[in-house]
Amino acid sequence: MSLSINEYLNQFEAHQQAIAFLSDFLGTDASGIMTFLVFGAACFIIVNIMALVGGLGTYAERKISADIQLRQGPNRVGPYGILQFLADGVKMIMKEDIFPADADKPLFNLAPLLALTGVFATLALVPFSSGFTLVNLNMGVFFLIGVSSLVGVAVFLGGYASNSKWSMLGGMRGASQIISYEVPVTITALMIVLLSGGMSFGAFVETQGGLPHEWYIFHNPFTFIGFFVFFVGMLAETNRAPFDLPEAESELVSGYHTEYTGMRFGLFALAEYIEVFVLCGVGVAAFLGGYKVPFDLGSGALFIDKLGLPVIVGKNIGQVLQVGSFVTKTLAMYYLVIWVRWTFPRIRVDQVMTICWKYLTPLALFNLVGVAIWMYAFDAHSIWEVLGQAFSSGH
Amino acid sequence: MFENILFLSSAVLALSGALGVVFTKNLMHACVLLLATLFGVSGLYAVIGADFLAAAQLVIYAGGVIILMLFAVMLTGGAANNENKFGIDKVAAMGSVKTYIYAGLTVLVMSFTILKILANYMKTFEQGELAPFESTVEKIGTLLVTDHVLAFEISSILLLGALVGAAAIARPRRG
Repeated sequence: MSLSINEYLNQFEAHQQAIAFLSDFLGTDASGIMTFLVFGAACFIIVNIMALVGGLGTYAERKISADIQLRQGPNRVGPYGILQFLADGVKMIMKEDIFPADADKPLFNLAPLLALTGVFATLALVPFSSGFTLVNLNMGVFFLIGVSSLVGVAVFLGGYASNSKWSMLGGMRGASQIISYEVPVTITALMIVLLSGGMSFGAFVETQGGLPHEWYIFHNPFTFIGFFVFFVGMLAETNRAPFDLPEAESELVSGYHTEYTGMRFGLFALAEYIEVFVLCGVGVAAFLGGYKVPFDLGSGALFIDKLGLPVIVGKNIGQVLQVGSFVTKTLAMYYLVIWVRWTFPRIRVDQVMTICWKYLTPLALFNLVGVAIWMYAFDAHSIWEVLGQAFSSGH
Repeated sequence: MFENILFLSSAVLALSGALGVVFTKNLMHACVLLLATLFGVSGLYAVIGADFLAAAQLVIYAGGVIILMLFAVMLTGGAANNENKFGIDKVAAMGSVKTYIYAGLTVLVMSFTILKILANYMKTFEQGELAPFESTVEKIGTLLVTDHVLAFEISSILLLGALVGAAAIARPRRG
């Protein structure tokens, strides 16, 4: 049972008392105001933490790349250079704000904001835990794919509005790449929709379990392939290497943000790192069990029954464990994304399209049909259950 | 209260975007403003509880169609020269006297027909209550493969035709 933050809080008496107190104080029914306040607070927390994750993402990128290339990486600002991203931020704010001559000024301003809007809108759906999600839309995946395609528009507009050939080429590459790779990613997500019987992230996660054999990635051979299709598609959709053709330094200077300076450039970079986190979170929720903790510790029932803790404490310990589980898996995948970037060489632009349309899309369709057949043939049991039955029945 | 806020902001977004599309002279700006309109329309769908339609609007229009339009605008090059030989801005005539007469008559007939239909509804206009929100995905899915399966299949044939046509046009000519 996955709840949005308000539904989760509403089950506690303390929250009801707070609403009653506020109602007395204001003289009207305060449940609407309380909902609004809770949403506001949760949005504030999530957006700030995600901005921090985006900032630390740039630090992680440099540190991991340095590790891979046997360098030191940033090590001057703060312990182990961890405050490097703050120094970068200060530097970016103090940079001169340049408009290229003949740039399309409104669109030039709009593009970085559009990128950030598209990414932040997806944050509403990230299932951090069974109680800490801003909204558990039953259209979850579909909405997320739709909103995150705003980033594609932003990349394209950024390229167009700069009035520069490098930017233009980068923007066109970015847009074509993003809308192409949406096809295999969406079909792969449909596979999970078939298995879980719902389109919301709550349904995705709740039909999985805490231990690896209960995750969808190991559910059957098709989902196992599907995870890698999703991962490659995700890399391409976020313009990460080896698909970072929109900003290929060796060909296009810096691609669609060549002409951007200061904080405008910073917004593009921030949007990219946060989008990577969000899409890693989607991958984790869809394939790797999401926020599920082994042995059902996440519901907090164990703490309440065995240790005799109050309900509110027990449940919240469960929530913290769930958030930990989700964030750990997501950050592991984040590490993988960075690792891939510094390991593989960039592929050519025609190879990008070949991989998408000739390999990933047919593979995704094959997986979708395969999962449907699997569900029909084995009544939606996972491969482990099927094998277990085969062995126990003495064949 | 909340629904009113959502409705008003969506409607303002849709209308201002639409007006902007009409009044702007820059084709690229028109495309971006169309994006605002489509977001507004999606918000309107969300207000009346059509959640699937709202998300589909975002996925299809905001994600695909707008980018394709931007590509199309860019590849066609835009208006290179809109001055005539005397240095005055050209105004497209968009038809001759004959076409204007046809169009005027058609508009008259159509508007009378629509008014005739709408007249019955105009008189008894009452503000109703929205039904409580429930998800529409299952209903749409069930209807598409039961009652409306013919329409569903025919539209897929239409899409297949478009796909084959695109492949035929883009195919390299051999020999």
